[in-house]
Amino acid sequence: MKSKERIQYLLSLGVSILIALAIGALLMLVSGHDPVQGYRSLIEGAGFIGPRKAQAIGNTLYKSAQLIITGLATAVASSAGVFNVGGEGQMYLGALGSCYLATLLVGVSPWIAMPLCFLAAVLCGSVYAFIPAVMKVKLNINEVISTIMLNSVAIFFCAYMAKGPLKTTERGITAGTQRISSVFQFDRIIFSNSDVLSERLRMKSNLTTSVIWIALITLLIWYLMSHTTLGYRMNLSGQNSRFARFIGIRADWLGIVGMLISGAMCGALGMFENFALHSRFNPEFSNEIYFDGMLVAMIMRYRPLGIILMSFFFGALKTGAVSMQQDIPSELILIVQSVVIFLMAAQEGIVARLRVKHARKHPSIAKEVG
Amino acid sequence: MSEPIVSFHHVSMQFPDVLANDDISLDIYPGEVFALIGENGAGKSTLMNILFGMNKPTDGSVVVKGEEIRSFSTREAIARGIGMVHQHFMLVPSFTVAQNIVLGCEPRVNGFAYSFSAARKTVLDLVSEYGLQVDPDAQVEDLGVGLQQRVEILKTLHRGADILILDEPTAVLTPQETDELFAVIRRIVREKNMTVIIITHKLYEVMAISDRVGVMRQGRLVGACRTSEVNEHLLASMMVGKEVLLEPFSREKPADAAPAVTVSDLFVRDDRGLMSVNGISFTLRYGEILGVAGVEGNGQRELVEALTGLRKPVRGEITVNEQRATRASPGRIRSFGLSHVPEDRMTTGVSRDATITENLVAGKEGRKPFSFLGLHLRKGKMKQYARSVFDLFDIRAAGVNTRVGTLSGGNMQKVVVAREFSFDTPVLIISQPTRGVDVGAMDFIHRQMMNKRGEGCAILLVSADLDELFRLSDRMVTIYEGRLTGEFDPAVTPREEVGRSMMGLTGEDRTRFEKTAAADTRDT
Amino acid sequence: MAGDMFHLVFTPGTFLNMFNSATVVILAGLGCLLTDQAGMMNIGLDGIMVSGAFTAAIVSWLSGSWIVGLLCAVCVGMLFGLFYGLMVIRWKSDEFIIGVAFNIFAVALTTFLLRSIDGQKGSFHPATGFVDRIPALHLGVIGDTPINISIMVPLAIVLVILCQILMYRTPFGFWLHASGEHADALRSVGRSPDMMKYLGSLGCGLFCGLSGAYLSLGYLSTFQENMTDAKGFVAVACVIFGRSNPVLVFLAALLFGFIDAAATRLQDYLNPTLTATFPYIGTVLMMLVIALARVIRKKKAAS
Repeated sequence: MKSKERIQYLLSLGVSILIALAIGALLMLVSGHDPVQGYRSLIEGAGFIGPRKAQAIGNTLYKSAQLIITGLATAVASSAGVFNVGGEGQMYLGALGSCYLATLLVGVSPWIAMPLCFLAAVLCGSVYAFIPAVMKVKLNINEVISTIMLNSVAIFFCAYMAKGPLKTTERGITAGTQRISSVFQFDRIIFSNSDVLSERLRMKSNLTTSVIWIALITLLIWYLMSHTTLGYRMNLSGQNSRFARFIGIRADWLGIVGMLISGAMCGALGMFENFALHSRFNPEFSNEIYFDGMLVAMIMRYRPLGIILMSFFFGALKTGAVSMQQDIPSELILIVQSVVIFLMAAQEGIVARLRVKHARKHPSIAKEVG
Repeated sequence: MSEPIVSFHHVSMQFPDVLANDDISLDIYPGEVFALIGENGAGKSTLMNILFGMNKPTDGSVVVKGEEIRSFSTREAIARGIGMVHQHFMLVPSFTVAQNIVLGCEPRVNGFAYSFSAARKTVLDLVSEYGLQVDPDAQVEDLGVGLQQRVEILKTLHRGADILILDEPTAVLTPQETDELFAVIRRIVREKNMTVIIITHKLYEVMAISDRVGVMRQGRLVGACRTSEVNEHLLASMMVGKEVLLEPFSREKPADAAPAVTVSDLFVRDDRGLMSVNGISFTLRYGEILGVAGVEGNGQRELVEALTGLRKPVRGEITVNEQRATRASPGRIRSFGLSHVPEDRMTTGVSRDATITENLVAGKEGRKPFSFLGLHLRKGKMKQYARSVFDLFDIRAAGVNTRVGTLSGGNMQKVVVAREFSFDTPVLIISQPTRGVDVGAMDFIHRQMMNKRGEGCAILLVSADLDELFRLSDRMVTIYEGRLTGEFDPAVTPREEVGRSMMGLTGEDRTRFEKTAAADTRDT
Repeated sequence: MAGDMFHLVFTPGTFLNMFNSATVVILAGLGCLLTDQAGMMNIGLDGIMVSGAFTAAIVSWLSGSWIVGLLCAVCVGMLFGLFYGLMVIRWKSDEFIIGVAFNIFAVALTTFLLRSIDGQKGSFHPATGFVDRIPALHLGVIGDTPINISIMVPLAIVLVILCQILMYRTPFGFWLHASGEHADALRSVGRSPDMMKYLGSLGCGLFCGLSGAYLSLGYLSTFQENMTDAKGFVAVACVIFGRSNPVLVFLAALLFGFIDAAATRLQDYLNPTLTATFPYIGTVLMMLVIALARVIRKKKAAS
């Protein structure tokens, strides 16, 4: 029964993605782009073909890692019944907190400083997630609205700090904290193009050693969600909080725990982004990174393994779309993603309607079941 | 006899998982009170929903007043003079009585705005015409169920109904209210020449009010005849399809064991803030089954929820296994050695989105052998355990990975019972264990309970089913309006006496009820 | 200092800005409350608004007429409303997921189209022609502040009154409410609750389309990417705060407008990036207050 459900689900997912990509092609056509060329340059940009293959693959992998962290962050809170739309704000605060701490720890051994910065990021993120979590669990305040509001608050606040009290003294930088000591920064993992050995063509990708941290976090969260008693209890709380309470699980507490973990993950990602790619806190570091991952989680119904796998697919799409550059805006992928969500959401309703109709036409089949 | 006013011809209704009506043919005549009886899930309500246009039958036809119904919609049904009072009232709680009565056909001024004065006048006219007293400006959510039902009846009468369907109208009524309702039914049948179809599963009501009776079982119409030609015993056997339902258990009187649960002077409020448990005290001992009998809605739900920690009592003391359980959390009370089969399995007893395995292990996930150090979940052990329970309890499903939400009521209840009984706690609180469960599953669950009793467990059994209580209880108490109104030894007490007590009636009242009922039956 | 601030904040200009800013929220809030009354709260308001704003700006530029722009925005809004209705009513999708996906979809789509149309990032600045704005009423001068008010502001107030009458004085309003509170009650009297829900959803699209058009043709004079700044969510919060009563929602929106206007005023004293957080903090506090009040009321009722 369950495996049948799963096959049906995967099948409709595949069809939905194809339809969504077709809609994307249509959009390109309407807006005056050649869809074949568009998707070709997308595949190239994702690193599957073309001369910049190595760098593009690095970028794709890093984007996938981002999606995995944000997707799992959405999923871990959702599994406990709280829908965290506030990852963006939590990420900003985590980034600001860790970057600021890094500027204070100049000269300290990275073996001590890095864990401290990580701790700061995690703390900032989870404290900021704690506010809407408590409001949801104790006062039943809709978390979608409160986290959206808190996103704006955090982003403006961080921008204010980066332009005001914590602004760097370096010249030529309008917004940002002091530069982080280079020993704290994550090293880029450089891909060399095997055909061309000349140093000039060795290109850097966004992939840095932070992926090791991300991989560890991913492993931990996947294990937590699917193989621990805590994950099991969070799941039951999210599915039916009344039942969870009845069976002796503290559902409201677990909702808060889910949000704390989610916020911590977002905070950590904020640190990785800035430590790796911006070498300081840059208030414009995120172009709604969190929402990309949130969509992946929604598409995969908050299942950890599914999110991890699907993140690679959408990571490739997203990276490919960004490198399509000016001709075709990368928003195309957001459109494709949300269309997949619409189709998947409708799919269930359509199947249910068909089932009713089918039962009307073929009473005998259902009779055996009933 | 005159032409039938309603005829069903070979009507079948197929839902995705169940055949609710199977080839039903039935005639109902004008000016009669027709009772449709059967157990839960026998298909009574489905058949009446078809007549009222809420469902389109998958097969067969329905003829009303000589005309075959082609398009099934409530609008159509109302236009044909059919009105239905549903078991769950179709009233908008935040609206006034008048707003509800005229809903859908509101009087207007200037063709646009609602006319409050005209609506009030309509209601007052109805009130004087039928003698059913209601306040048109009262808000429905502030009214008691009896009054709400009255509003429902007025609502259908306002729409000009001459065929009135009442779905389990007495399930939520006190005996006095039932009395009043029956008087109203007799009056409208006599004075307005209405046809009334009443769905019920209470046999004495059938005898008291109806002219003819139809019995349904498992989607089929087993028979229809004049009420005067049958008796309660015959109807009962038609309903369940067996002469004797279940054999009784042989048992020994429990020894005077130590108290397992003591409750003293307990007061609990319901969801609406009304005091629904009004000073209850009792003691439950090891090795006995204490039955709590009562019409639903007399405080049983709140009592059980207070005992199990799901609801905070206002006043009073509860001890479980000599530990103070007043105001403790459900998890804490469970740790005192109590498990609980809740009355509402759909929303409280299971997580419908979880698999059978996950539901069976819930609450035990931190224990051996399901976890390592209380942290790592051993999924293999969970599955292995679930498979053994699955076979032991004879749960009918594709496998242990099936989602519980797709199971039938009886199988879902088996999952709940299997989980709760395997906690191996000395105290069990069991609420409506066999509601909506087929006979086989019922017998199985009863046997499990007797086994637990044999092991020396203390069991509190709350049920609306007197047969169940008489079969299982060592001792019975009755609950009425939040108070315990009597204690009985089921072995020696006639069930009429228990019935009287759970109605809050003295012996004389009950006799009066039966006498007037009998007189009225002859009358019509 | 405190006295200075007081005088700075409580000026005619602030109140003017309060109305200008609140109107966006009022219109969206009216839309949201129609869906909430019908029992399916739409939190995808931002998405509809941003689509409306985009349509209004582009069409107004193409046709040179704000009226055509506004009407097209309303049509696009209703199209979204119909789509929401189909997803939630017919296919029984989760309304929150659809709402969230709506927002992302609409922002992405409008950004995509904007960048495709004139290859620009950020906002719409046509090389030729101009975006025809919704006209404003000149109400004279107080002190040295000219009082100009977009005609959408009085229109919004009229719409609030109309909605209030519709909801509490007409059968239509009763049916809409009944379809949300007890759909079967409505069905059992032969009226289709689904039809009411569709109408509520369409109404939501209509109002959000209006709100969007006001945003790009009245409040500002061009379209910007993601220009609603979560004002749709503020409207949702106002609907919760005002318990879906149009007049109360209106007052809640005014409160938001006031905070927004006051924050703008305070920019001389405080950093504008910092004051930009005030409306959002205000909204969160608003939700907190209503929730605390509910808890206290419950406690009182219980004792």
